[in-house]
Amino acid sequence: MKKTFSNRYIFIYSAVLVVVAALILTVVAVSLKPAQEKNQQAETKQMILKTIGIDATRDNAAELYAKHITEADGYYTFSGGIILPLHGTGLWGPIWGYLALDAESTVVGAVFDHKGETPGLGGEIASDKFAARFIGKRMDAEPIHLKKNADPANPYEVDAISGGTMTSNGVTAMLQQAYNDYQNLNTPRNQTTPNNQINQITQTTQNNQRKEPTQ
Amino acid sequence: MKNTDLIKLPFSKNNPILVQVLGVCSCLAVTAQLKPAVVMAVSVTVVVALSNLIISLMRGTIPPRIRIIVQLVVVSTLVVLVDQVLKAYMYDVSKQLSVFVGLIITNCIVMGRLEAFAMVQKPWPSLLDGLGNGLGYSVILIVLGFVRELFGSGTLWGYPVMEKLGLYNIGYENNGLMIMPPMALILVGLIIWWHRSRNKDLVEQ
Repeated sequence: MKKTFSNRYIFIYSAVLVVVAALILTVVAVSLKPAQEKNQQAETKQMILKTIGIDATRDNAAELYAKHITEADGYYTFSGGIILPLHGTGLWGPIWGYLALDAESTVVGAVFDHKGETPGLGGEIASDKFAARFIGKRMDAEPIHLKKNADPANPYEVDAISGGTMTSNGVTAMLQQAYNDYQNLNTPRNQTTPNNQINQITQTTQNNQRKEPTQ
Repeated sequence: MKNTDLIKLPFSKNNPILVQVLGVCSCLAVTAQLKPAVVMAVSVTVVVALSNLIISLMRGTIPPRIRIIVQLVVVSTLVVLVDQVLKAYMYDVSKQLSVFVGLIITNCIVMGRLEAFAMVQKPWPSLLDGLGNGLGYSVILIVLGFVRELFGSGTLWGYPVMEKLGLYNIGYENNGLMIMPPMALILVGLIIWWHRSRNKDLVEQ
């Protein structure tokens, strides 16, 4: 019953197998790419719209996005303020999100997502329940950070995720990064009131679309 | 072995988690909540059944010396293929599944069944064996997900059961240990204990 295989057969067999598998995957990946990219772009727009309380479907996301969101250099603006993009790393891979701030630097909406955090633990950052903890927090005097047993009354503390410490640390780090960027945007005009700051940021970017934010 | 046994035995005396003790790693990782546990259960069942079928069809041609690599190529091609198609046409399902892709490919049950069954059996029994083992794995995952989410987070499928019952008002608190992977191990241990006490012939001397 037991067959023997020559080395020649083994080499040819493995080469053919790998090439066939690679071909199948390549054909599938290339032919499906347009549909996948469309989905991903729509999803990003959905996420951004969600921070300002608009629940878009993937079909009407592009339309609503064009209506409500203005893209600026490295961030977004909407009628009530500014949306900061967040990028960072969790335990297993990239994590990202968007944070909508009103003219007073108060969070009006947040949304997070991740590539491969453990479902039920770090993966919880993608839940609405987690995002809702950010509403009403502030990004002015110091960045928001995640903490175990956070005080709900403290505008700079958000309760971290049980069993998701590394992911929570990643979220804190990307909030710090976004805070620095946000402060840099405000720096040249720190004499003005927060309300004017936002207007000026919006104007500045409209005037200088291509320029980097002032360091 | 009868074909019906291929489906039935994984639920009792040949359960992949309780008796073969395979797939425990993913079983600890994804059962903190019910929903991911169910997604993982369905995915593994589909993958183990299909890869069993494919390997069984190829079994005569596979040189034993490189069989593990061949199995791995087949399984990962299958999983990535399914993920790509979902990403294009069922994006929401793919979002749910994407974090599991790595876990499915490396699930010991998949490789275990390929090695132990599909390499030496005909396609139809192999497909049934894959289904049976996938479902046997699913049962344990869903039980763990149910217990851990209910007592760890006080919710079921995201629905706040404990809050609606008003238990928090009378001093009830969620058990934080339930969310941690070690508690899944303890629960699996308890289930194995119960299972062996009912099936004395499984107890090693």
